[in-house]
Amino acid sequence: MNNENFYQFSTLTVLALLVFFYGGTYLLTLLIKEKKENTDAFMVSNHQIGFGLGAASMTATWIWAASFYAAATSGYTYGISGPLHYGLWGALMILFIYPFGRRFRELAPNAHTLGELIHARHGASSQLILASSNILGSIISLMVNFTASGALVSVLSPLSFQAGVVIAGVGVLSYTLWSGFRASVLTDFAQLMAMMAIAILIIPAVMFALGGPATLSDGMSLLTPEQANLFSMDAILNQGAPFFVAVLAYAIGNQTISQRLFAVREDHIKPTFITATIGYGAIVIGLGMIGLMALMTGMEPINGDMNNLIPQMVSMYLSPVFIGLFFILVIGSLSSTADSDLSAMSAIVMADVYGKNIAKNKPDPTKMLFIGRLTMIVATLIGVILASFSMDILIMLVFVGALWGAIVFPVIASCFWNRVTNTAFTSAVLAGLVMFCIARFELVPMAGLMAGLFELLASVGGGVVLGLMAFGFCGRRVGLIVGALSALVLAYFCVGFLRDYTVLLASLMAYGVSTIVCIGVSLMSSSKFDFAQIDQDVINYDPVKPATQV
Amino acid sequence: MQTFILALYVLIWPLISLAVLGVIGLATLNDIRAARRDKRELV
Repeated sequence: MNNENFYQFSTLTVLALLVFFYGGTYLLTLLIKEKKENTDAFMVSNHQIGFGLGAASMTATWIWAASFYAAATSGYTYGISGPLHYGLWGALMILFIYPFGRRFRELAPNAHTLGELIHARHGASSQLILASSNILGSIISLMVNFTASGALVSVLSPLSFQAGVVIAGVGVLSYTLWSGFRASVLTDFAQLMAMMAIAILIIPAVMFALGGPATLSDGMSLLTPEQANLFSMDAILNQGAPFFVAVLAYAIGNQTISQRLFAVREDHIKPTFITATIGYGAIVIGLGMIGLMALMTGMEPINGDMNNLIPQMVSMYLSPVFIGLFFILVIGSLSSTADSDLSAMSAIVMADVYGKNIAKNKPDPTKMLFIGRLTMIVATLIGVILASFSMDILIMLVFVGALWGAIVFPVIASCFWNRVTNTAFTSAVLAGLVMFCIARFELVPMAGLMAGLFELLASVGGGVVLGLMAFGFCGRRVGLIVGALSALVLAYFCVGFLRDYTVLLASLMAYGVSTIVCIGVSLMSSSKFDFAQIDQDVINYDPVKPATQV
Repeated sequence: MQTFILALYVLIWPLISLAVLGVIGLATLNDIRAARRDKRELV
């Protein structure tokens, strides 16, 4: 890294910024700290989070440090439409899950994790597939966020990469450890307010520092025809579509999202998710515009590393005050996601592992809290170690994404269709994962009949994605029609074409295969599930202490 | 015309962010008032 190309804070300044951020956040959590925390509140705030805090927390959690860098990279690579193909689809996925979220809440109003609902519906094996994928996903997310902190600190100050990693780990753990999810939600609000205010200032500041709108207009000549096209097929096929399919899986499978779904007051779910959709889209697309502006000014990222784009632009064109604000922006985004990951993992180990499978629905609340906090400490340690040694485990994220892609249809079908069985759920997920791997790593030659078959299965996957979206908002009949028509249209266009876009092909295969297997195996059984059983099995663990203060 | 559209395309996002900031801020104030009125914890 050529640090001389970036503005350099002194060690004292950067430490002061970090102490200000993490110290302030910790002091904020003292406002809600209780000597003996309630177990249910520790996991989901007693299901009573209001609209404002819920929307802030959803938005802050969905935005992680990589969001800015990836949106800017997309803007720099694909031009005008690039930031939209990162931010818009990510935002729409928040919107997409709320109709299903309402169904989850209706079935299991006392749930803490989606795994508990699936445990009540199918049993331990399906639940543990969800739980293990979430733990792996959250560990990777922690590692990525701590790595972002290390990279930022080492680029903008004389401090080492490892120092940045450790400070972020200790800082996040310190304010999340005692009150868990309650602390995460409260600090998410403050962090989001800061992030939004900074984004509102930085985006126009960069534009006017470059020379204003006229410079952008002149810069259009530097764009290729594809980059200048708002409807670039290159951007859609390489960035928009794969990301759209991936984030759908993340939205349904990820506990950080479902935890907020179970925490927000039931009548506030819709406005919360709509506001988070707009907020996420605006911030991420807006910061992606910095990448587009970099392209329009002909800037080259240092060492060819796209992650340098935003720090480079900020360092080159803005004053030290703005660079300090940018520093807080990135630290805020990575911390809000990291504390959500810690809360998610603790809830999974508390409820899915201990509550359901060890204590058999009769847990000791004190022991449960201890397990939750211990989980946070261990997870932070693992995240810090993986980040410090720069271990390359991002390949695991591919598998987690595939697993969540294969989970989407079985989870949703299990909540609406009483014929889905545990065997159908498990076999569908495993089949989806296996076929994903075959396509993603090209374990068979992608040519001839085999490639055509894969493209047909991927077309079914595309139909499933669009059909589920239509089903969520317009009901079963419209969902079925949209799904079937989309699959047919996609099959017409995809056969002979999609084999060149391996990531998209494999992701859609996971959806298509898991859906076909889930439906097929379910139809082979005549058993019918009574959905009323779920509410009886999914309970609050610590009902002794009332939620209200006297 | 192109200059105006490009400027709008870049600046519309911070404007939307500002609006969302206002909505979330006001809603949170309402959350705080409601929690005080009902004598319960905010989170």
